[in-house]
Amino acid sequence: MDLEVDENDLKTAGAELFAEDGRRGIRISGWLIETRRHSILNSSTIQEWEQKLNTSHLPEMVFGENTLILRHLSSGTRIHFNAFDALCGWKQEALPPVEVPAAAKWKFRSKPSQQVILDYDYTFTTPYCGSGNIEIDKDVNEGEISKETSDILWEDCKDQIDVAALASKEPILFYDEVVLYEDELADNGVSLLTVKVRVMPSSWFLLLRFWLRVDGVLIRLRETRMHCVFSGNRSPIILRESCWRESTFQALSAQEHPFDSGAYGDPSFISQKLPIIMHTTKKLVISS
Amino acid sequence: MSSDLDRQIEQLKRCEPLKESEVKALCLKAMEILVEESNVQRVDAPVTICGDIHGQFYDMKELFKVGGDCPKTNYLFLGDFVDRGFYSVETFLLLLALKVRYPDRITLIRGNHESRQITQVYGFYDECLRKYGSVNVWRYCTDIFDYLSLSALIENKIFSVHGGLSPAISTLDQIRTIDRKQEVPHDGAMCDLLWSDPEDIVDGWGLSPRGAGFLFGGSVVTSFNHSNNIDYICRAHQLVMEGYKWMFNNQIVTVWSAPNYCYRCGNVAAILELDANLNKQFRVFEAAPQESRGTPAKKPAPDYFL
Repeated sequence: MDLEVDENDLKTAGAELFAEDGRRGIRISGWLIETRRHSILNSSTIQEWEQKLNTSHLPEMVFGENTLILRHLSSGTRIHFNAFDALCGWKQEALPPVEVPAAAKWKFRSKPSQQVILDYDYTFTTPYCGSGNIEIDKDVNEGEISKETSDILWEDCKDQIDVAALASKEPILFYDEVVLYEDELADNGVSLLTVKVRVMPSSWFLLLRFWLRVDGVLIRLRETRMHCVFSGNRSPIILRESCWRESTFQALSAQEHPFDSGAYGDPSFISQKLPIIMHTTKKLVISS
Repeated sequence: MSSDLDRQIEQLKRCEPLKESEVKALCLKAMEILVEESNVQRVDAPVTICGDIHGQFYDMKELFKVGGDCPKTNYLFLGDFVDRGFYSVETFLLLLALKVRYPDRITLIRGNHESRQITQVYGFYDECLRKYGSVNVWRYCTDIFDYLSLSALIENKIFSVHGGLSPAISTLDQIRTIDRKQEVPHDGAMCDLLWSDPEDIVDGWGLSPRGAGFLFGGSVVTSFNHSNNIDYICRAHQLVMEGYKWMFNNQIVTVWSAPNYCYRCGNVAAILELDANLNKQFRVFEAAPQESRGTPAKKPAPDYFL
């Protein structure tokens, strides 16, 4: 998605945009922020992933090479988002399957003589809230460089993302949204994991969203937001808020919200109607 | 009459929808033709088989470029004409107009999206409302959906259906006895034909973790093909990155004809051409280039999401 960006805004912010071979991004205030967009996985790569993840089911559309990467250059800190790690989370959480409304009728159908009932979580619900590590070039001996990777450490915190500051109409210098995976639940709803990012002169902000609608049954929204204010020479701090919301169609209609799935196309419009079931705030202090 | 129809076909080929009154008249004529068709409609070779289109009108025009124009090419479409894409109205009406104009040169069978319930969720209903300001056109079209045949049999050798097999069906005659003129039911043989999927990891029958929806394995296909004396099954219904996919030792093939599905998947599409001797040739094609689509890609307004 190409956005009309004012050259002067970029200049004032000391930022630079780039775009090549499916990569797009921005260099700004010691950060390199980029997205990559490609096709869904082909059949042979799907098989490889199925083996690696030890599953025989993946979402219908896995955008396996799509990613958002935010790199803090001087510290080697790298926050990134990809379908594979998200699906590892799905495998681990392994929720029990949700029955669709037609299932009630199906219980009375005459069964074929031999029938296997599959019981994986076809909604691909994931607790994923991003990946991250620190990559440091170590001079091993005389000019030989090896990459050393270590984990990043998110700490619990009480701070909250400054929504008021984000609501101000500061110019957006870079914006993109990538889909990580998507499934139509065989026309029983939607399961969609996307991440979008916007970069302004003073900060970057991103939203990772898992959106699930099982028609007539369940709506689930798991969102993770990250915000990082550019802080000159001081160590940057990333705030991360995860908020999980969930409701059944039954509960929604009991509160006089509509029951038909057509009314629940856009998660942004309905998120406020869904009760929060989990909320955490963490921060990452990047030491340069 | 046919000159009127020819004009409408030309108009639809430019992706311009018909007037509401024209849609009504077209649907009435289509109904007279479709009501005579069998649940297992006989189709002669040569024929070109197409999978899901999903309202991707400009990509369907690519399909006709690759496969040739109707009536010169004889077509069989396996359903899912509507929903998801931007031009379900124009896509379905063009196919329907071709059906009325050349009934023996194009066969349309029903997909699971040709249903009142599904189209209200996945786009066709909203599109009709947006383009016509009322739901009348949606009503005419969904009424026609009830008349679409459920399957096709090519030269008695290739069975074609949108989804797949049903445990309630072991012979083609059982399909012939279904009363199809109704909304797609939530269970039973008619539902299965439009909804079920082949599945590698089961041998016999599998039940989806959703609690509704059958999956069928290789041995089910072998015994169906054997008892009905057919060579293989040709179906659609599932996205395939490569456009088509054989399973179970070439006993069933999935054909998918919506390239770059939902305008973002980057997949290719395919059609299956059968000559008079039933020799197969898959023709793979890509999405229509951006500049050949009606609307230019607009620069989006900045998204101040929170």
